[in-house]
Amino acid sequence: MLIELGALHQELPALAGTSTHDLCELLAGLGFPVDGVETVEGATVLDVDVTANRGDAQSHRGIARDLAAKLGAALTPLPAAGPAQGQPLLPIRLEAGDAGPFYATAVLDLGAPQGTPGPVKAFLGAMGAGAKDLPAVDASNELLHRYGHPSHAFDADRIQDFLEVRWAREGETLVTLDGVERKLTPRDLLIADGAGPVALAGVMGGEGTKVTAATRRVLLESAWFDPRTVRAMAHRHGLHTDASHRFGRGADPAMAEPARDLLARRLQDWAGATLRSAWSVGAPPPPKAPIELAWSMVDRVSGHPVDPERAGALLRALGCALEPIPGGARVTPPTWRHDLGLPEDLAEEVLRLLGYDGIPSALPPLESHPEPLAPGYLKRRKLASRLANLGFFQTVTLGFGDPLEEALGDAPARRALANPLGEDYSLMRGTLLRDLDKVARLNLEKGARDVRFFEIAPVFEARPGQPLKETWTLGLVWGGEMGGEDPLTPTRKLSGPEGRSHLQGVLRALGVAAADLAAFGRWEFTEAATGAVLGWHFEVPIDAIPDAGERVIPRFAPFSRFPTVERDLSLLVGLDQPYAALKAAMEEALAGTPLQDLRCVDVFRHKSLPQGRQAWLMRLRFQAMDRTLTGEEVETWVLSALDAAQALGAQLRG
Amino acid sequence: METPLLPPEIQEAHRSFPGALAACADLDALLRLKGAFVGREASHAARLMELLKAAPKEHKRELGAAANALKTQWEEGLRERQAQLEEARKATAALANAWDPALPSPLPAQGALHPLNRLMDRLVDVFRPLGYHVEEGPEAETEEHNFDGLNIPEDHPARGSADTFYFKDSDGLLLRTHTSPVQVRVLKRIAEKGPDGLSALERNGGIRFLAPGRVYRKDEIDPTHSPMFHQVEGMLIGKGIGMHHLKGTLAYAMKALFGPGAEVRFRPSYFPFVEPGAEMDVRCPLCGGAGCRVCKGSGWVELLGAGLLHPNILTFAGIDPTVWSGFAFGMGVERTAMMVSQTPDLRLFFENDQRFLKTMGGLD
Repeated sequence: MLIELGALHQELPALAGTSTHDLCELLAGLGFPVDGVETVEGATVLDVDVTANRGDAQSHRGIARDLAAKLGAALTPLPAAGPAQGQPLLPIRLEAGDAGPFYATAVLDLGAPQGTPGPVKAFLGAMGAGAKDLPAVDASNELLHRYGHPSHAFDADRIQDFLEVRWAREGETLVTLDGVERKLTPRDLLIADGAGPVALAGVMGGEGTKVTAATRRVLLESAWFDPRTVRAMAHRHGLHTDASHRFGRGADPAMAEPARDLLARRLQDWAGATLRSAWSVGAPPPPKAPIELAWSMVDRVSGHPVDPERAGALLRALGCALEPIPGGARVTPPTWRHDLGLPEDLAEEVLRLLGYDGIPSALPPLESHPEPLAPGYLKRRKLASRLANLGFFQTVTLGFGDPLEEALGDAPARRALANPLGEDYSLMRGTLLRDLDKVARLNLEKGARDVRFFEIAPVFEARPGQPLKETWTLGLVWGGEMGGEDPLTPTRKLSGPEGRSHLQGVLRALGVAAADLAAFGRWEFTEAATGAVLGWHFEVPIDAIPDAGERVIPRFAPFSRFPTVERDLSLLVGLDQPYAALKAAMEEALAGTPLQDLRCVDVFRHKSLPQGRQAWLMRLRFQAMDRTLTGEEVETWVLSALDAAQALGAQLRG
Repeated sequence: METPLLPPEIQEAHRSFPGALAACADLDALLRLKGAFVGREASHAARLMELLKAAPKEHKRELGAAANALKTQWEEGLRERQAQLEEARKATAALANAWDPALPSPLPAQGALHPLNRLMDRLVDVFRPLGYHVEEGPEAETEEHNFDGLNIPEDHPARGSADTFYFKDSDGLLLRTHTSPVQVRVLKRIAEKGPDGLSALERNGGIRFLAPGRVYRKDEIDPTHSPMFHQVEGMLIGKGIGMHHLKGTLAYAMKALFGPGAEVRFRPSYFPFVEPGAEMDVRCPLCGGAGCRVCKGSGWVELLGAGLLHPNILTFAGIDPTVWSGFAFGMGVERTAMMVSQTPDLRLFFENDQRFLKTMGGLD
């Protein structure tokens, strides 16, 4: 909200010696941070951030009230009260109950000259509103910015028969002051006359009854409307006006009559107007029940004892009425502070005026054992750490999906958003791979030679008849070249099954079972246009990855202190020989022997070998728990392993 | 040692000896030179012996002395050079076995954690010693958890489809707009257990947790906005909890995050689910308070919103707000990461360019 310094000083003369910087600090300390300070035609204008709960602070007087309470200074009294209750000049009916319970009005004949005083024009300029040079309109605006109460002036000669505050009827329309024809619904609160709607209550007046330079007689409106009703109307019609902003955040019902009187007084002063009559209909909403505040609550909230005398004085300075009760006070907030309803609210007010700087600093005592970190969280965090150490970069992508690119088993429509940002953001993703591929491709395009990325995030699944499911998932992608990081590892392009094999190795290192590799695998990712393989990718639910051991201190497993014996077998096998089958057959043949390990340590493929064959160097390692092995027994075992291999078609390579 | 008795070819050889010696680059060359000068056969020394044997008696003495002197000079020269070359060979051998430790080592390439995850993990680590654990919730949430349970009025603009993503065919399901629904879920869990929940709360002396995670708001992606971003929310419930505890906790956390010199200040503010509400500023970590672009000259940057739990929030969970009280705080992860790292554009966090991740990420 914009605050013009001169107008603020008029409300609170005690500010005269305060620098703009100090004023900004004061305001921030009260919960009104200043977003900017500008000079508009010689006037200093502060852009003050007022939170949504403080409808009462949406004016110069509102801000001045808080400053006055903080500084212990006095506000300039409101100008003297206006005319007393007069005779109604036309019927005014309140037909909408609590939504519009109170209507203050006046009718004035305008004289000549009709002009808005220069200083008021300058003030409205600083407020960004601009003067219309129609005193009725300008005075209403000026009062709104100065005192926070919205009012409206109708051309009285265009009002037919009567005025009523009522709900709109289906099919009714109103052309508002901005020239737009509004279709009304029964949830719209109206001011209407004998001919139909003349204003959207608390939001905007109607074009047909507006004040113009030709207006000779005005009817003033200064009412109170229900905040929720006004907010909903402003939202529905996309009409966020100065008036709807203030009514929507709660106007001061007690200000309706004074605002009307001030408006009438300005028209008399600026436009030689003659007051025909001023009167009010209905009653302002009843004040809220008083709040019982225990002083101990203020102490608890602020963390240090606050002198009840001081707390009481601060609340009074804010306009509250206090009546002592044992250990506290019964507090009646002022009419403008509809946000105060709980003892906590009052404690906050005391603290706010004392200043948050004065609150001491303490750690709450730790009275129990902390709960352990959730296993799911810990697991994901450890996984991320491991993968980063394995050379993968963690990515964070937005999480949306494009239905055209997702061909998954579930019902993607149920993952769809009703109000997406665009087609390619239109559903929640069912896979991480699309985003990971994109990241890998982008990095390759930007000249990265080796791309290794992972993401850990939920993916969405929508099966018919089941709630939308979110599954924490690990996605990996590996592409580009391999090696070249150091002088001993030459660079080479990842080719054929090699990349997949590396990725598989990573997954196995994480403990993903072979069955899961088959179940979740979608391995190659390719250039869409050419079909060229750019790399390998994989995703797996975090739940399919075993926890890395639950025991912090594992159980002791005995190991042998006797020497190991190693034997190598170079086998010629078919190029299509499944490794797992050969390994299993050899291991089976060695069941009962002290075999420690059996694995392929070298794959040799060369044109010198018989066609269709490759050489696998199998290394067998034996070690007994209780003795040193003899050469003869090891030879026997190796031969039996060889037999098993030969049974599968392998030959001993000479 | 010049004597006309020496034949010119020996004299010539002797003159060339120092040059030839210096020209020997290795021990092999030296060995060949040694053969040529002092070898048993066909060397200059051997030739001198033959000359001496054949020389007339009156010349023998003079020639003998000259030959000896030459031979001694040659042998000494050779020995000296040999020592030099052996030294050089040892040095080379040592070099051959040396490896400049500055050369890239044959370790696998290092990756990095994403800076946003790192910051969230760091926050968990900071709060862990204070007894906080981690609570999480789904990203697809109900209105009840995301708004109702947080005291957010039904007509609040944040509920509109201009601000919040809603799912199409899942009535009322939305993408959570903050991590606060995790609070609601935790409180509900306590409430659903009824007296058991409350006695567990009693037994544990309250509850304290962090809720880090992804949240969504309907913003077009630009240098300062993204439809998905991260928050870390914290909540504590205990007995006699006041603003001083909130202040102490956050002051400690900021010191742990930004270093012992970190300074914080609290200002009143408003959020529907806290009362009193506060905003916390930290002394600008870039300029130290002198005033810069990041803090817009004020010396302070706003870092998080916080406050004491609104009694309605506790009542919603069946927890008596006259017995229990607590606080909550929420921090934007991207905002904090951007500010501290001076990352100029929010989109960099989601582009995942390796060059960015290499400088911004790291290992833990």
